Amino acid sequence: MTTEIQTRKARVLGVEGLIKRFGEHTVVDGVSFHIEAGETYGLLGPNGAGKTTIISMVAGLIPADQGSIELAGFAMTPTTTKAKAHIGLVPQELAIYPCLSARENLLFFGRLQGLSGQDLKKRTGEVLDLLGLGDRAREQTKKFSGGMKRRLNIGIGLLHRPTLLILDEPTVGVDPQSRNSILESVEGLATEGMAVLYTTHYMEEAERLCDRIAIIDEGRIQAEGTRNQLVELTGGVDRIELRGSGNTTATATALRQLPGVQHVDGGGSGLTLTVLNGPGLLAPIVAEAGRMGMTLTSVEIVRPDLESVFLHLTGKALRD
Amino acid sequence: MRSILGIARVEVRRFLRDRSNIFFVFIFPLLLILLLGSQFGANSGQARVALSGGTGTELEKALAGQLEEDGIQVSKAGAEAVRDQLSRGRTDVGIFIHDDDATAYAGGQPAALDVVAASQSAAQAVLQQVRASVQVVSTERRQQSVLESAGVGVPEAVAALEQSRNSVEPPRVEVVDTNDVTQAFQGLGRFDLGAAQQLLLFVFLSSLTGAATLIKARRLGVIARVMAAPVSSWQALAGQALGRFGIAAVQGGYIMIGTAVLFGVDWGDPLLAGLVLVLFCAVCAAAAMVIGAVMDNDGAASGVGVGLGLVLAGLGGSMVPPEFFSDTLQAVSRFTPHRWAYDAFADIQRHNGTLADILPQLGVLAAMALALLALGSFLLQRSLSRAL
Repeated sequence: MTTEIQTRKARVLGVEGLIKRFGEHTVVDGVSFHIEAGETYGLLGPNGAGKTTIISMVAGLIPADQGSIELAGFAMTPTTTKAKAHIGLVPQELAIYPCLSARENLLFFGRLQGLSGQDLKKRTGEVLDLLGLGDRAREQTKKFSGGMKRRLNIGIGLLHRPTLLILDEPTVGVDPQSRNSILESVEGLATEGMAVLYTTHYMEEAERLCDRIAIIDEGRIQAEGTRNQLVELTGGVDRIELRGSGNTTATATALRQLPGVQHVDGGGSGLTLTVLNGPGLLAPIVAEAGRMGMTLTSVEIVRPDLESVFLHLTGKALRD
Repeated sequence: MRSILGIARVEVRRFLRDRSNIFFVFIFPLLLILLLGSQFGANSGQARVALSGGTGTELEKALAGQLEEDGIQVSKAGAEAVRDQLSRGRTDVGIFIHDDDATAYAGGQPAALDVVAASQSAAQAVLQQVRASVQVVSTERRQQSVLESAGVGVPEAVAALEQSRNSVEPPRVEVVDTNDVTQAFQGLGRFDLGAAQQLLLFVFLSSLTGAATLIKARRLGVIARVMAAPVSSWQALAGQALGRFGIAAVQGGYIMIGTAVLFGVDWGDPLLAGLVLVLFCAVCAAAAMVIGAVMDNDGAASGVGVGLGLVLAGLGGSMVPPEFFSDTLQAVSRFTPHRWAYDAFADIQRHNGTLADILPQLGVLAAMALALLALGSFLLQRSLSRAL
C-alpha cells in the first residue's frame, strides 16, 4: 500500500487513450503512457509516426480529439495554464528570436514562465553559464553557430526548472560534438530528478538516454518497456547485413527460402536479414548469396537492438 | 497583463532592430510628405503677390501698401524671378510695373500694370483681390489729382484723403470660391493634406509588411513555445496584437509629431486626431494578424503586404484625394479603413470637427478592428495545427 502511494506521488505525466485526427487521417491512435519523476521516457519512431503530434498535445498546443493528459496532477488542455507551468518545451525547430541576444531570449521566455526580478536575472545567469554562453550573452543569436543555438533552445526549456522537460528531436541537424554535449546534458537532468519526454528517430539516442522507450509507428505505440524488455520481444533474432553487388532482388528471394530466415529487406548495394541464430546460419546464407551470383564485400552479424525490435514489430526499418 | 506586455515589447523590439524598417518607417514618410507638400501642396491660405519693377516709386509704394492692408502677402523680385515663381506655383499673382507707368502715376496721369495670374485655382480668387486693391489705389490717386487741380496743396490733399479714409469704414469685399473641390480643401496648409494621406498609407503598409515577423516567429516555433508557457491563448494573441498595434502607433505618432514640428502641419484637435490614429492603428494591427496567420511564407507575405497596402491606400484616398473620385469609386473607397480615417482627419483639420462629428468614422474603424482581430485570432490559433 505504501509503495503504491509513493508510486502515485512520483507520477509526473499520465496519458490515456490519446486520439488525434486531421481530417480523415488518424495521426495518433489510442496512445497511453506515463512518466515518473527522474525518468527519461523515449518515443522512438520514424518521421511521420506521430511523435510531434503527441508532444504538441502533451504541451497543450493542440487539443486531443479523445483521451486525457494529466500533468503534475492537473489536466492538460490548450486552455489550462496550471499544467503548462510544469512543462519546459524544447521544440524541434530553433524556437528563439534571432534578432534578440541569448540573454534577451532567456529573459523573455522566463517572464512568460512567471519568473521575475532578481530570481529571473539569477536564473538567467545560471542557465547561460550552464550552456557555456555566458561570454556571448549579449550577442544577437543570429550570429551564433548551430550548436550554440541548439544549446540555447534547450536552455530556454530548462529556465524555470520544469517538472517535465519535453525534448522533440533535439539533435536533428546537429554536428557530432554538439550532439554529444546535448546528450550529456539530458543525462544530467535525469539525475537531478527531472522527468524527460524525449522523441527521436535515432535508435542510439533512445538506447543511451531512455529508462523506458515506446516504439511508435503510424500513431500507435507498438511496444513499450526498458531497452532489454523490448529486445526480448524479438525472440533472440539476429540481424545479418550483407553488402556487395549483383542481383540482390533474386538473392533476397532465394534467402527467404532458407530455414531460420524470418525477414529479408533491402536491395541495390545490400540486404538486411532477420534470422534466428545468426552465427549458425551465416555459412549457408553466404553460400546461397554466392550461388545467386552476388559478390559480397562485407558481412556483419548484428545482435538484437532497437532497430531489430522496430523491424520485428513493424516489418520495416526505423529510417524508412 | 505582464505576459501581454512582454510579448508586445518583444514584437516592437524585433521590428525596430531590423534596420531597413528604420528608413521606411521613420525617414521615408517624412521625405515624401516634404516632397508632396513642396510640389503640390495648397498655399497656407494667404494670397501671395509678387511685385516686379518700379522700385521705390510712388506707384510701387502705394500698391504694396494697399495690397498688404488688404491682407495679401507681398514680395518683391526681379521680372525673371517673378515669372519663375508663377510657373512653380510659389506665388498667385505677379504684377509688373514699368518705369513709364510709374512716372505717369506720379504725375497723375493714367498708368497701366501687367498682371499675370498663376495656373493654380486659388490664383483666380487672388486676382480678384488684386483688382480691388488696384482700384482703391487708382481712386485715391484720382481724388488727390482732383484736389490738386482745385488748388489744394499736395500735403493738404494727402492729409484730407487720409482723414476721410479713417472716418469712413470702407465696404469690404470677400472673394468666395464657389468651386466644390476648392471649398473642400479650404483651411488646409501646404503639408496638411499630404501628411494625413501619407500617415495612413505608411502606417497600414508598415503593419502589413510587418506581418512577416509573425510568420517568421511561427515558422521558428516561437509562437508554439509561447503557447506552451503558462499563458492563456488569448493573452498570447493579445500580446501579438498589441505588439503590432505598438509598431503602428509608434510610427503614426512619430509622423504626426514630426510633421507638426518640421512642417507646421495642423492636425486639429490633438486628442481627436490621436483617437483617429489609435483606431486606425488597431485596424492595421488586426489586418497584420490576419496576413500573418493566413500565410506561411514571410517573403510572400511582405509582397502581399506591399501590394494590398498600396491598393487599399489608393482606393482609400491616400494617393489621390477622394474628393476627386467618381461616385462609384467613392462607394468603393468606403470599404477601406483609409477612407474613414481620411474623412475623420478632414473633419478635424479643415472644419474643426468635434467628437460628435467624427463618431460615425470612429465607429466604423472600431468595427473593422474588432472583426479583423477576431478573424486574425482564430486564424492564428488554427495555424498552429497547420504547422504539424
